[in-house]
Amino acid sequence: MDLIFAVLRDFVIAFVVAVCWGILFGTPKKILLIAGLVGGMGHCIRFILLQLGFGLISATLAGSVAIGLVGIFVAHKVHNPPVVFTMPACITMIPGMFAYRTMLAGIKITDLQSAKLEPDVLLVMTHNFMLTMSLLFTLAIGICIGALLFRKTSVRDISLAKVLEKMSHIQHTKKD
Amino acid sequence: MERFSSNKEIISAKQFANFGLDVGTYLLASGAHCGRLDTNIKRMAVRWGFNVELNPTFRGLLISVQNMRDESDTITLFRESPGHNVHLAILTEVSQLSWKVYDKCLAFDETVRAFEDIKNKKHYNCWIIAFAVGLACAGLCLLSKGDYYNAAVAWIGAFMGSVLRYKISKYKYNNMIAIGIAAFVTTLVTGLGAIYGIGTNTETAMATAVLYLIPGVPLINCVIDLIEGYLSSSINRALFAAFVLLCIAAGMTLCITLLGIDNFQIS
Repeated sequence: MDLIFAVLRDFVIAFVVAVCWGILFGTPKKILLIAGLVGGMGHCIRFILLQLGFGLISATLAGSVAIGLVGIFVAHKVHNPPVVFTMPACITMIPGMFAYRTMLAGIKITDLQSAKLEPDVLLVMTHNFMLTMSLLFTLAIGICIGALLFRKTSVRDISLAKVLEKMSHIQHTKKD
Repeated sequence: MERFSSNKEIISAKQFANFGLDVGTYLLASGAHCGRLDTNIKRMAVRWGFNVELNPTFRGLLISVQNMRDESDTITLFRESPGHNVHLAILTEVSQLSWKVYDKCLAFDETVRAFEDIKNKKHYNCWIIAFAVGLACAGLCLLSKGDYYNAAVAWIGAFMGSVLRYKISKYKYNNMIAIGIAAFVTTLVTGLGAIYGIGTNTETAMATAVLYLIPGVPLINCVIDLIEGYLSSSINRALFAAFVLLCIAAGMTLCITLLGIDNFQIS
């Protein structure tokens, strides 16, 4: 029961975060709700996988890929490019804490005396830096999977026959 | 062929190149990746029978337009993009306009007018954005195991920093200075919260309150461009994003060292 409540709380907070990022990025008003729902779903998947004992990076990858794939289907329904709402949705999983720790460790390392007292500060910095970079890349991959697949279907809409039909009026004007 | 009798509108390559540059540079400034520029502009070019090649970079757009009816009607133009300001609604509008041009064969002056309307579209009000940004940072604070007091501190810090950032950028200062100052002020608020011990997990408020400055759109577009093979644009975006991150870190570092680095522990 506690777990269900925790998942629900996670969903609600991620929903609010995704909607607010949508406002910052200028997502159209009608799509804000969808951005929130997709973002909540993605973060929920990550939360559940983390509870099941998956690693942080694989859980984030699963969440962002889910956002990207759902984004394609929703984009056809609402007639919007998927980036408009998958972008704020994915940002809910941004690795802020690790980036902050990287920076704090970086500041501490500038003081040699205290760095000698805590020699693991270099390890902390590298660890957090690598984690930040990997998580950022996972987020981008999630959005890319959606964007690339969507681009293919969009291009497929422009079938060769249709293009030829449009071009044919050029031949006519030449004769005129 | 009767259906297309109204489509025989003839415009010159220069007219289309100028329109394409308008659309392309505005899309770049609104946070579109290069593949989107390519599909949208080529879709519109088909309607008037042009062959278009693009070379987008972060800073501007090089377009070369060939008229398929007339070999001598060829032009290559370059234009710088306006100041970058992420506005995803523009991407939706331009994409829908390009489909309308393609399917319904809009007239050229009608298309230009429709694009002017899109250009005049307003972003959200800066106070609404500041409020929302505060909520977003507070939410991220809660997600990374902060309590409600931490979230409140993060909200105040993000709100103040965001308002200040918009006020500074209104005076046409360099954008990076605005970001650095905003990061400084936000960290000042959350750092004071940490020193006075508001909430149990003060580190989360410090870390999450500055996240509204993160250049998320350029960072993600950088990877998309890399995958699609627009290397020069990708490098430009990566450099831009890295420099914004550096500015945030510089603002925070300045503030933390002023407040005393010993007050902050890495948990």
